[in-house]
Amino acid sequence: MEDQIVRMICRVIVPFIQIYGMFIIIFGHLSPGGGFAGGAIAGASMVLFALSFNLQAGSKKISEESASLLESGGALVFVLAGVVALVLGANYLTNLEAGFPAGTPGRLFSAGVIPVITLGLGLKVTSSIVTLFYHLIGGEEEEH
Amino acid sequence: MPAIEHYPIIMVAGLLLLAFIMPLLYIWKRNWCEPVAIFAISVALVMSLCIIYEVVQGDAFEEGYWMGGWEHFGIEFKADYLSSYMLAVIHGVGLLILIYGIGDLKKELVEKVRGWYYTLYLLLMGAMSGMALTNDLFNLFVFMEIVAISACAIISIKEDRECLEASFKYLILSAMGTGCYLLSVAMIYMITGYMNLDMVGETMALGVGEYPLNILVAMSLMVVSFGVKSALFPLHVWLPDAHASAPSPSSAVLSGLVIKIYAVALVHILFRAFPMEILKEVPMTDIILWMSTLGIIFGSIFAMVQENFKKMLAYSSIAQIGYVFMGIGLFDPERPEETEALVGGLLHILNHAVMKSMLFMIAGIIIYSAGLKKIRDFDGIGNRLKWPMYIFIIGSASMVGIPITGGFMSKLHLAQGAIAVDMPFFVMVIIASSLLNAIYYMPIFINAFLSESKHENVTFKPVPGSMMIPVVILGGLVLLFGIYPAPVIGVLESAVESLIQ
Repeated sequence: MEDQIVRMICRVIVPFIQIYGMFIIIFGHLSPGGGFAGGAIAGASMVLFALSFNLQAGSKKISEESASLLESGGALVFVLAGVVALVLGANYLTNLEAGFPAGTPGRLFSAGVIPVITLGLGLKVTSSIVTLFYHLIGGEEEEH
Repeated sequence: MPAIEHYPIIMVAGLLLLAFIMPLLYIWKRNWCEPVAIFAISVALVMSLCIIYEVVQGDAFEEGYWMGGWEHFGIEFKADYLSSYMLAVIHGVGLLILIYGIGDLKKELVEKVRGWYYTLYLLLMGAMSGMALTNDLFNLFVFMEIVAISACAIISIKEDRECLEASFKYLILSAMGTGCYLLSVAMIYMITGYMNLDMVGETMALGVGEYPLNILVAMSLMVVSFGVKSALFPLHVWLPDAHASAPSPSSAVLSGLVIKIYAVALVHILFRAFPMEILKEVPMTDIILWMSTLGIIFGSIFAMVQENFKKMLAYSSIAQIGYVFMGIGLFDPERPEETEALVGGLLHILNHAVMKSMLFMIAGIIIYSAGLKKIRDFDGIGNRLKWPMYIFIIGSASMVGIPITGGFMSKLHLAQGAIAVDMPFFVMVIIASSLLNAIYYMPIFINAFLSESKHENVTFKPVPGSMMIPVVILGGLVLLFGIYPAPVIGVLESAVESLIQ
């Protein structure tokens, strides 16, 4: 269905949704929310986009391949952040004791490795939602 | 080289890491997937052998390993005798199944999903190692979920009607099992306020008198949950379809390893979290004993009437997991020093993992080479597929429990344990089930070698060496563990001793 009103509103609203999602991911260690919540919001923006236009337009923005790349990449960030602590000589996933910079408490750059992990999680959840959505829609198209 | 106390986490994190890299590799360097997966599991096998050596000889694992250095708050990994034994079983058998799978999957799976298969396989291996190692109830739940999802996925990856139906059934029932587990953990947390197994054990011993009902409900939910997951008899309904319709390497890993890891987790929790007084009050071990007895008998009877070879092997798995649980059931809390049956049950984890994955691989070889699935079509194939059927003789002898094979050693220990706790009835159960096993395993190879061949016009594809060698190695291992099981039994005796304290 091609609806001019829906498309127009979607065009306007999608950037705001994405910025809100990014905000929740990046400020995950300071405010309520974090990787999961923010990733779900940012992923939902892509779902909204693909629904109001169509799948081809959506997959032009993020192709299925790059979504699965991002998905693996997000998970890799989490595991590697843990391994860095191992290399630095502490236990797996150790934060400040392993030597990650603490920063000023309450500011954006603080809490050592946690923002990195939240960012990885956010990437992972965003691309997971997009991939899941593509697979559900794609599966239906193949059958018909 | 990192210090040895980091090995458990490196193993789990490394397997998960490579599982995530696998899709990337599949996009860029398609041919690298298989060698990288084999390399990963080989390294994990070497690490688990190092861990088992260190557990037996050294003292690096006396203390647990706390994630992120959060001592007494965080997640703890603890390599004790039982978990290091299980790690070696998982990675040893898992490596051989993977090597076998490379040949087999080329035929069974379409090109598009083959890269994902290795992702799922490494995820499964990493999560199973995590389940064996973790000392935290909630972390165990997370790993259980990963195992359940990836186990479903390696069934449904074949994408035919049967597989999808079977994996959906498996998904629903195993989700029920996980739900029961979560409820049970919630109960335990309510009583004790801890998630760490050791601390739960200590606190629960204090709370026995005050909260008997909660502990009782938690324990029964725990047994039901792991019973569903590892197909203890009345809860086994998902297993035959799932294991029979999956691709052969998946069947081998599911039947050989996945159902055992839940039994190991149950042993860990039952003996370490719940105080011995509760086990004395509540006939939980008796219930497990009778369920396993029914499973042993009925699993064999169901297996007898099957026409499909893989389905017969799947029903036989229900009977064989019964032996593992019989070992747990024959443990008498009144006489905790009689541990031989428990040793036998745990020994059967290794023996069954080796022989059942071998038999599923042989089933896969027969399907690969000649496309035969029905048992009655196997007449006379012994002349065409000589080596697979020779190894099949070893496997079925071990299933029946003939001396010098691994199956005999575990049944011997179970029977001695049954006599030690004055329950000679269960010796009869073991003997009866051996006879039942003989009834459905023996005719297959007798007919395969002695019957008239019906396959003059069937072309037998040559079996590649990469599929044959793992089967031969596993056949050798069955004989090795039948002739010289002493080191394994030594490890298991220490394992049981440290559990019972």
